[in-house]
Amino acid sequence: MSVQADKWAPLEQSSESREKIWSKNRTFAGDVWFRFRRKPTAIAGLVMIVLFLLFSLVGPMFTPYSYSDQNLAMVNIPPLMKVYDVGSCQVYITPSLKLIQMDAEGNLSRALSPVRTENGKSMMIFDCDGKEVALYYGSSTYVICDETTGNIYPSGYRWCRDHVLGTDALGRDILARLMYGTRVSLMVAFVSVLVNLVIGILYGGVAGYLGGAVDAVMMRIVDIISTIPLTLYVILIMMIFGQGLQSIIIALGCVYWVDMARVVRGQVLGLKQQEFVLAARTIGSSPRTILMQHLIPNAMGSILVTATMLIPSAIFMEAFLGYLGIGLRPPLASLGTMCNDANANLRTSPHELLIPALVICLIMFAFNFVGDGMRDALDPKLKK
Amino acid sequence: MSKPILEVEHLTQHFKINRKEVVHAVDDVSFTIARGQTLGLVGESGCGKSSCARSIIRIYDPTGGKILLDGEDITHMSQKELQPRRKKMQMIFQDPYASLNARMTVRDIIAEPLLAHHIVKSKEEANDYVYPILERVGLTREHAGRYAHEFSGGQRQRVGIARALVLQPELVICDEPISALDVSIQAQVVNLLRDYQEEKGLAYLFIAHDLSMVRYVSDMVGVMYLGQLVELCGAEEIYSHPLHPYTQGLLASIPVANPKLAREKQTSGIEGDLPSPVNPPSGCRFRTRCPYAKAVCAEVAPCMHEVAPGHSLACHLYD
Repeated sequence: MSVQADKWAPLEQSSESREKIWSKNRTFAGDVWFRFRRKPTAIAGLVMIVLFLLFSLVGPMFTPYSYSDQNLAMVNIPPLMKVYDVGSCQVYITPSLKLIQMDAEGNLSRALSPVRTENGKSMMIFDCDGKEVALYYGSSTYVICDETTGNIYPSGYRWCRDHVLGTDALGRDILARLMYGTRVSLMVAFVSVLVNLVIGILYGGVAGYLGGAVDAVMMRIVDIISTIPLTLYVILIMMIFGQGLQSIIIALGCVYWVDMARVVRGQVLGLKQQEFVLAARTIGSSPRTILMQHLIPNAMGSILVTATMLIPSAIFMEAFLGYLGIGLRPPLASLGTMCNDANANLRTSPHELLIPALVICLIMFAFNFVGDGMRDALDPKLKK
Repeated sequence: MSKPILEVEHLTQHFKINRKEVVHAVDDVSFTIARGQTLGLVGESGCGKSSCARSIIRIYDPTGGKILLDGEDITHMSQKELQPRRKKMQMIFQDPYASLNARMTVRDIIAEPLLAHHIVKSKEEANDYVYPILERVGLTREHAGRYAHEFSGGQRQRVGIARALVLQPELVICDEPISALDVSIQAQVVNLLRDYQEEKGLAYLFIAHDLSMVRYVSDMVGVMYLGQLVELCGAEEIYSHPLHPYTQGLLASIPVANPKLAREKQTSGIEGDLPSPVNPPSGCRFRTRCPYAKAVCAEVAPCMHEVAPGHSLACHLYD
């Protein structure tokens, strides 16, 4: 075997290439975005939140109804209606035994009122464009019939065009109310995040960093705040500011940061023993710098996770207060009060409950997905 | 001769673990470091080397004794009073992975001491300091915008060194700066520290458990056992004439590369484990593992005294 000497000649070496890092250099925000966008669920969540924002802020401009417009003639209309063809026109029978006339596209024209009632036969007679039809309500499934052809059977289902998502028990358009309700929920979410991020982080960070007696006193205050139920705060605050959204927001602002303060304190207690924090102390950095640049950024992962867990619970808290009747003033809509209003008609008009409940679910999903994606994206140790 | 940069007198550092029990991490340790000199501190894991370093740099509040930095007593200064004096004394940490903040770029990490001491007002201004020191430790300007986790262990440790040196301190405490690194990288880092010392004349307190590396960098070597200094002398002296039985044992436990010599060598290192620093043995703390222990060792604690010029010792065998 022959060895070729020229193959073994050393290459020219520069310190430049020896110390070179071959991965691409990116800014912090670019880096976070790069990792965030590789998670399909996170992007889906973000898109959903943006859609909900548009829905609640821009949507009301495109609907003719307002959240408070009542139409007592058209109550409890479902989005998908069972249609009876009565020759000259088409009708829908509401659960409260009214006939609603509609045209071929699904626009509701008017509610028919009974011409006469025959209580003995459990029948109501309606006048439908000059033709008399009888509604027999004696059996559990209503039967509609006319004099000549006898029983009329449903000819099929049709989407309601006037009220895409139907109406509630007072004839208010559910879609319009949903837009306002989503707006309230997102506002509550926004306030709870703001309060958490500002008061919760600072309070917990200071308590954890200073430690000792200061920590003990600060955390006892947190314990006291969190033992008093939020409902009590809301009621007390309502005595001063009156019923309405502002009282709920003030109450959330006053007390909703305690969970975050606890989480941040725990994180800071663990982090402050790490060498990079000790290094910052030996350097002579001020406690403020250590807290804002070292401790809090490194606790950001769990802060975001906690925040995304708290957003749905804040939304739910608002709904819960609405349920108790100490939330929004009645004509105003929130997802919670809509669910509550639907309770009375749950068996006949389940859509009134299902639609706002579905929206609550989707909002919670969206925030959880985004939080999950943010946690992964903000952790540079996971960078590939 | 000018006054020494660091004088440590009877430094004691205890930690309460509950109402009754106390960890005697450092007990009555005294030494001085002259300007431009290196004191190596060796000992087993858990013998109080790092606690000693952290008390000196005032991460901990010392229980007793005195720390004089450049002739000034900093033992009981508040952190606020201490802040301007921290410029003179910096620290290099053991774990290059844990000692750099993962959320900061190298530029921000190195600029932090400059901003803390108001040497520069903005991060842009800091570049004038950051770039030269990065190049000094063998990195390039391009690295300034990178995050610490993108670097290798050796590169990270050099970032840590750059952070410690950017203020041009007079004393740098190196808390096992090389023990987390590969052997090939260790020499690189130690040579960097030595070159810089020659250039700027700064002093090191060099903590390690690798005896051969300590010999290479130190002027003086102190041997610690269970929170106490047991022997302190010149670096060459301790290898040629180790006097304390513990030092002898430590040196005997250095592995020898030559297999023929290794077979001849007495295999008697030090037997047993370090006793608990919560209840240290009475008298001489090493007596439980000392092959020469006598009755007096259990009763009287030996004090450090000079047995030869520049060679101090705490052992009853040499009384």
